[in-house]
Amino acid sequence: MAAPAELVRLLDERGWTAEPPTAHPMSGVSESRWVLPEHLVAAARALKEAGYFYESLTCVDRLDPQGAFELVLTFARWDAPARIGVRVWTPKDTPVPSLAGVFGIAEWNEREAWELFGVEFSGHPKLRWLLLPDGTEFRPLLKSFTAPPPSIYDDSLTAPASPDDRTDPDTHG
Amino acid sequence: MTAQTPTLTAEPLDTYTLNMGPQHPSTHGVLRLVLTLRGEKLVHVDPVIGYGHRGHEKMAENRTYAQFLPNTSRQDYLSGVIYNNAWCEAVEKLAGIPVPERALVARVILAEFNRLASHLMWIGAYLLDLGGWTPQLYTWDDREAILFLLESVTGSRLTYCTGRFGGLSRDLDADFPARARVVLKKLKDRWQEYEDLVEGNVIFVQRTRGVGIFTKEQCQSYGVTGSSLRAAGVAYDVRKVEPYGAYPRFQFDIPTRPESDAFARYWVRVQEMKQSVRIIEQALEQLPDGPILTERGLGSKKRLKLPVGTQYYAVEAARGAYGILLVSEGGTEPYRAKFRVPSYANLAVMQDVMPGYMVADLVGILGSIDVIIPEIDR
Repeated sequence: MAAPAELVRLLDERGWTAEPPTAHPMSGVSESRWVLPEHLVAAARALKEAGYFYESLTCVDRLDPQGAFELVLTFARWDAPARIGVRVWTPKDTPVPSLAGVFGIAEWNEREAWELFGVEFSGHPKLRWLLLPDGTEFRPLLKSFTAPPPSIYDDSLTAPASPDDRTDPDTHG
Repeated sequence: MTAQTPTLTAEPLDTYTLNMGPQHPSTHGVLRLVLTLRGEKLVHVDPVIGYGHRGHEKMAENRTYAQFLPNTSRQDYLSGVIYNNAWCEAVEKLAGIPVPERALVARVILAEFNRLASHLMWIGAYLLDLGGWTPQLYTWDDREAILFLLESVTGSRLTYCTGRFGGLSRDLDADFPARARVVLKKLKDRWQEYEDLVEGNVIFVQRTRGVGIFTKEQCQSYGVTGSSLRAAGVAYDVRKVEPYGAYPRFQFDIPTRPESDAFARYWVRVQEMKQSVRIIEQALEQLPDGPILTERGLGSKKRLKLPVGTQYYAVEAARGAYGILLVSEGGTEPYRAKFRVPSYANLAVMQDVMPGYMVADLVGILGSIDVIIPEIDR
């Protein structure tokens, strides 16, 4: 069916894709496009109809100076060496439309991106912790994250508000 | 301290909740399933994961490409060679490091032996889940022969780390092909025994036939890969669809079966082992002479710098499609590494598949997808 080149041309024609905001190249995919967040669900539907499955979702905290996240999604198919990279530029404070209604696995992938980076997804059934313990307040995969000092006494998972609040392992208890 | 009355949720009165795991022996690691049951029927299944989360993706950002090598085989501890090779190949692709012919073929040999060991382990463990104790004695005996062989090359029995950027750190010795052929002979003599012991067993057949059926729509929606997908009639194998390394040189088939039940998944894995033996035999035949590590010294550089870029690299692991998304900003450490692990999707689909079955079928279904929890938790 739809070859990757035809399919991305279709996305372009419908005005769902954007000009690359950065020159960072992507390889290992047949085609890649920057998709506008508001058209992400429609683009995912088009990919699903064309026979693609949702392969992965990666959030990259590369655009911090611009106050944005980069999301990289890959879609592949069973019968041909076709992989489409969908990249999304999203401001950190704006929720991204959830793909959980299109692909079942998106529910888990989005929970992961939410707990590790703090990416908000609108329309997700329920954003709750997947890999981290429930109630974890910090976002460990952000580049700005610094780990609390290790302590054998304090195993609470609450990130200290300021460096002064940190438990000193030598004096604690 | 004031005692708090627990808030009652709006759960219907005819259902109840049962926690299975995280220390249940049949969950193969620390997996917890929150089951909602009506009588003995499963109404809702919520897998709770993350008990083994070690932060491999964060670790990757804090060490050089070479320093991350040992982490790879600790994700899926039964596909150590395959994951280790995949990391090397992803870095080689992005950096443009050439790999000698001998290393390419040697990687295939080691990876296929690893796949055999993984499948043998699964057959033993799965039949143990279903109450058959004897088969594991056979499969573990065969697996032991493979581990002994791999140990003689890599020095490890489980967490292999022989991959280097541009080849392998240790060469296959002169008598390796002869020793490998002895192991292959032993395995080939066993297939009939497995069939007699397992496939003719009424209890096994009745517990696995027609149980845990995945539809193709569910497979597409969740991205199910590996033997579970092939047992649903889809001939998807990364080694064929996107051939990598030395795989295009070898003849092999992709076994599929249309039923998509637990028995089909068992059958597909047994057939895959036969295909792995076929690949190894050809690879031993074609094993070229020459260096095992690229001579340019690029791969063994301690502080290898990769060009700026995002690279996706996929391989076929024992459980399905394993993908690495590597983001480089030009430094000596990965800027971001994401691991697309096959068990993640294969477990997530359980939420859709399990409701409607009896609680007694749950172990049979869960075991049949060959789930490895540490790779899901990463």
